[in-house]
Amino acid sequence: MISASAFFFYLFSAILLASAAAVVTSRNPVHAVLFLILAFFNAAGLFLLAGAEFLAMILLIVYVGAVAVLFLFVVMMLDVDFVQLREGVQKYAPVGAAVGAVLFGELWAVVLGWQVSPGADSLQGSPTPANMDNTHALGQVLYTDYVYLFQVSSLILLVAMIGAIVLTHRRREGTRRQNITMQQTRSVRDTLETLQVRMGAGVQELGILRPRPRAEPAEEEPRHEHAAGDH
Amino acid sequence: MLFATAVFAPLLGALLAGLPGRVLGDRAAQLIAICFMLLASVCGVAAWVQHIYLGVPNGVVPVADWITAGDFRLQWALQYDTLSTTMVAMVTCVATLIHIYSVGYMAHERFTTSRFFGYLSLFSFSMLMLVTANNLVQLFFGWEGVGLCSYLLIGYWYDRPSACAAAIKAMIVNRVGDLSFALGIAAVFLRFGVVDFSTIFAAVPAHVDDMYHLLGTDFRAYEVIGVLLFIGAMGKSAQIFLHTWLPDAMEGPTPVSALIHAATMVTAGVFLMARMSPLMEYAPGALGMVTFIGATTCLFAATIGCVQNDIKRVIAYSTCSQLGYMFLAAGVGAYQASVFHLITHAFFKALLFLCAGSVIHAMSDEQDMRKMGGIWRRVPVTYAAMWMGSLALGGVFPFAGYFSKDAILNAAFESGSGIGLYGFACGSAAAFLTAFYSGRLLFMTFHGAPRADHHTMEHVHESPLTMTGPLMALSVGAVLAGWWFYPQFIGSLQQAYWQGALFNGANNHVLQRLEDVPAVIALLPSVLGLAGFAIAVWFYIINTALPVRLAERFRPVYLFLLNKWYFDELYDRIFVKPAWFLARLLWHTGDETLIDGVPNGLAELTVDGSRQAVRIQTGSIAIYAFTMLIGLVGLVSIFLFNR
Amino acid sequence: MMNWAAASPEIFLAVAGMAILLFGVLLKKENAALCTMLVLGAFAATFVMVMQTVPQTAYSSLFVTDAFASYAKLLILAGGALTMVLSLDYNERQGIGRFEFPVLMLFSTVGMMTMASAANLMTLYMGLELMSLSIYVLAAFAREELRSAEAGLKYFVLSALASGLLLYGISLTYGFAGTMDFAKLPDAVTGVDGVSTGLMVGIAFVIAGLAFKLSAVPFHMWTPDVYEGAPTPVTAFMSTAPKVAPFVVLLRVLIGPFGHVSVQWQPIIEVVSIASMLLGSFAAIGQTNIKRLMAYSSIGHMGYALVGLAPGTESGVRGVLIYLLTYVAMSAGAFACVIAMRRQGKSVERISDLAGLAKTDLPLASLLTLFMFSMAGVPPFAGFFGKLYVFLAAVQSGLWLLAIVGILTSVVACYYYIRIIKVMFFDAPAPAFDTRSASVSFVAIASGMFTLLFVLALGPFTGAAEAAARVLFG
Repeated sequence: MISASAFFFYLFSAILLASAAAVVTSRNPVHAVLFLILAFFNAAGLFLLAGAEFLAMILLIVYVGAVAVLFLFVVMMLDVDFVQLREGVQKYAPVGAAVGAVLFGELWAVVLGWQVSPGADSLQGSPTPANMDNTHALGQVLYTDYVYLFQVSSLILLVAMIGAIVLTHRRREGTRRQNITMQQTRSVRDTLETLQVRMGAGVQELGILRPRPRAEPAEEEPRHEHAAGDH
Repeated sequence: MLFATAVFAPLLGALLAGLPGRVLGDRAAQLIAICFMLLASVCGVAAWVQHIYLGVPNGVVPVADWITAGDFRLQWALQYDTLSTTMVAMVTCVATLIHIYSVGYMAHERFTTSRFFGYLSLFSFSMLMLVTANNLVQLFFGWEGVGLCSYLLIGYWYDRPSACAAAIKAMIVNRVGDLSFALGIAAVFLRFGVVDFSTIFAAVPAHVDDMYHLLGTDFRAYEVIGVLLFIGAMGKSAQIFLHTWLPDAMEGPTPVSALIHAATMVTAGVFLMARMSPLMEYAPGALGMVTFIGATTCLFAATIGCVQNDIKRVIAYSTCSQLGYMFLAAGVGAYQASVFHLITHAFFKALLFLCAGSVIHAMSDEQDMRKMGGIWRRVPVTYAAMWMGSLALGGVFPFAGYFSKDAILNAAFESGSGIGLYGFACGSAAAFLTAFYSGRLLFMTFHGAPRADHHTMEHVHESPLTMTGPLMALSVGAVLAGWWFYPQFIGSLQQAYWQGALFNGANNHVLQRLEDVPAVIALLPSVLGLAGFAIAVWFYIINTALPVRLAERFRPVYLFLLNKWYFDELYDRIFVKPAWFLARLLWHTGDETLIDGVPNGLAELTVDGSRQAVRIQTGSIAIYAFTMLIGLVGLVSIFLFNR
Repeated sequence: MMNWAAASPEIFLAVAGMAILLFGVLLKKENAALCTMLVLGAFAATFVMVMQTVPQTAYSSLFVTDAFASYAKLLILAGGALTMVLSLDYNERQGIGRFEFPVLMLFSTVGMMTMASAANLMTLYMGLELMSLSIYVLAAFAREELRSAEAGLKYFVLSALASGLLLYGISLTYGFAGTMDFAKLPDAVTGVDGVSTGLMVGIAFVIAGLAFKLSAVPFHMWTPDVYEGAPTPVTAFMSTAPKVAPFVVLLRVLIGPFGHVSVQWQPIIEVVSIASMLLGSFAAIGQTNIKRLMAYSSIGHMGYALVGLAPGTESGVRGVLIYLLTYVAMSAGAFACVIAMRRQGKSVERISDLAGLAKTDLPLASLLTLFMFSMAGVPPFAGFFGKLYVFLAAVQSGLWLLAIVGILTSVVACYYYIRIIKVMFFDAPAPAFDTRSASVSFVAIASGMFTLLFVLALGPFTGAAEAAARVLFG
């Protein structure tokens, strides 16, 4: 009779492995992402079993809540030809399999010959104090002992942010931006005009094109016409 | 001080005349070179006089430290003894005269002659360095310097292919001898651990019984050293087998020939034998070889000299022959006689060459005697000088050659050994031939009907004073040198004169016995000489058709002699052709295919490897990632297998 | 009590970076040059602060300041500053002159300094990520250009893989030792009989992760593409400071905590080193683009520097430190010359564009010649001494193979270095380059002077490197 924790360990592990395999093999990319989410859930379960509830929650919030959903959006919004991508996979499959097999064999050897340094326990940097849960313990060291690393992580995030902006942000011509100063300083007179409109006369005859044509290119004319018609 | 000045003044002259010669102009360069040579000759003669007559003892003039390598220390120093002072005095005097003569001879050159005078002075300096060396390495320096300068001067007219070929030939043939000489020096060094003469000679008796074991046979060390040194001397002194460069060296300007043949270069070998006499005396086998080669050369060169038609070649072969005499003398232990002949020969051979140059000058650069004749009235000074030179060369009493040649033949006879008698026989025959070809040269050149064309004959004229002056000075030497120096060099005063500079072994009494030879033997050279002249008169004045008939009658012999015993052809077959073949083989197979091929192949391999290396660089991220993973697997595997 | 002051240079630099960022955002005008100047000022101030740090351990032994770290930081700051100066003119002419550029470089530098001071595998990793993330963005900074965007993405993806390997290695190590602290790891490593398989594989993964940043073979594949695609100042940057930081961290990790198992990791370093030297010299031969060529050259140089690490001796580490010093100078100088390659307002990168440069612009040609000779290892230039010291260390430890391969590949490398010189001096001249700005000339001349005169100041630099190396073995 196996214990409950062992039962859940094997359960989570099995589902984790299966869904990880499904991520790679499923033909539909949306399915793949969904399997990924499933894998994350099971990994979180494993973390919970190991007593790392903080990591488990972070995994759910960050990876499932943000990253995976972002993936999903990207997959659905971008027109990625997965069939074409898969061709590459098939081409490299034999080599990949061979390399993978060797690597797996070596890692298996590692697992079989696993040993832990006799002094490992005593060498631990910040062991979890007794009678304290994992989150609490993390909180105690994160901003004290590990403050330097914490700050470096924040710098990494800052760089990521700068990078995202630098690489994607651009001022396109023709896009409308909000200009607050202009918005605040304009008056009714600038924007609103009352006109007398004759029956049966077109806008062109009346000369009430709106907005007033500045030195705009000719091809934009029809759109304005249409707008005026609505008016 | 005087001595050092005599040695180094020519160097200074060479540098000052040769290097900035173009800037200074011809006249200034000539003046500088001649002034320094004059200074050198004055100092040289003064140093000699000091030593001989004023009793300044033997010594060493240190110049500088040269080599210090571990225990091996070498000083740059000048040997001051009778042999070196005598040589210095002779070399500087003769070289000075040749310098002066060159001013006239080279007057018609198209290009500036400063280079020529620079070379001449450098040549003299090298020779002085050679004769004043107090150790073998320094001697080798001068030896090679002489070789270099001879190359430069023989090839002075570098726009003539034949001159370049002759220069290269002189260089290469000398290399053979030089290699042997270098080996000899090395052998001496191995045996004695030093290279300076005084130490070597002091240690010579201690090593008499040293042996070399080679190829299962024992060789006495001194024999090996002696033979090696002698082969070196053979190269420099153009003895048979290594003589082929000397006649070709006639391609240089005539003053150069005079310098090479009289004062410098070729006498170096004889000098080496004399200088190394304390060692050679203990190597009877090597001396036998010296005698044999010397005697053979003596006769061999004389036979060729009899049929050559180029005026300078005749004289060249006569030099070869006379050098044979000198070696013959050295071989039988009469080093004094050898050096004596060297000195007298220097005077009359320089004289003969300068005369020949004067004749050539007069004949508008014609060298073939068959196209001369009948000019004796037009060039009286040259004619007279030539007579004196020829009589000296022919060994007619009382000219210089008589005394020295007589002494050599007597010594050869007195040595008593079989090889000595062989030398005597060869020497006597050669003496006859010498007189014959000297006469032939004289008569063909100056007498008979003019054979040159009208145009040339019109221009025949006596040379300017710069040329005839040296001729006259040398004539005095050619006439008087033998008679004057005879007592000192080999006669009753010789012990006092040499002051131990030359060494005669304990059982070597050749010199003492020179006076004891039978009268018949003593008179033989003169008789033979006169006979030779007489036959020459008969052949070329009285019955001029006879030589032609003889030549036709004995055509093979004639051709054999005319073609110089076919030595050039033989060497061409034995050495030159195989060398060409080997060179071609090495060039095409060795160099082009292998040596070039390996780096070329490597380069191609490299480029190929480069192409392979970047082939995987396709730009595909997947491949890059795979490469990384494969690399990782590789590293982990190394790790796992290496535990 | 926490000793905050230990990291004061990093903190100062980071705060200055954020202030400059804020300044740049608020100023709104074209202000890239101004921000660059400010960042350079911050670098200078940090440089002084680093010089004045005292050796200590701080932040629960996550962070260490010692002579080794200081040496590395000064080198990193110098390399960063030099390439920053290069960006001044290039970015403006290329139309990518934006104030985020220097700020990103600054944050990258903070990351590298963190790496140099790492006393814990976690610190190492955080510093590495801060450094790398900035560089991804910088590589793609010319976003209008396809090549640049591709370079950024490629580097990012492959780097993520490498980071994964590094993290996995760290976790294996942690799993074995229960600690990531460099000071405690040696005890854990020596605590067992023999060597744990897990630990060894962990070390291999850590080496792989760091070797990627060094662009050592077989983790070099990104280098040519990224070097070519990235804006040239970024390429220059990538080949200087971001090579130094991973290298010093690799030195610290392998010599410090894993020094006792050097017999185990030595073959890996040897293989990586030999492969890098071979590829660096051979693959560069066929290149026509000078930036790609520099990429392969950089791979080769890392191979040579690794020769010094392989023996795991003090003299080897000293050799590596000197090598990195000379390499940074040569690289900055060479890239200054590459940036000066500009014709009619357009940047040109082909080697054939250099044809006959000696006739049109002798000073530039001479400088580039100097750098090429130095990179080829021709005495008496700086590059020669770097090679000399690492090869010497290898030979002293009996690693003849490394030294021999090093020397042979140097010969091969000479070919392509000297080919550039040949193109400049003997080929028919191409049209002249545009006038270069003073900033580019400054970097080229400064690096040139260093490369040329290094031989005169050999003593002080060697002394500093020696002092730094001694820390690891102290």
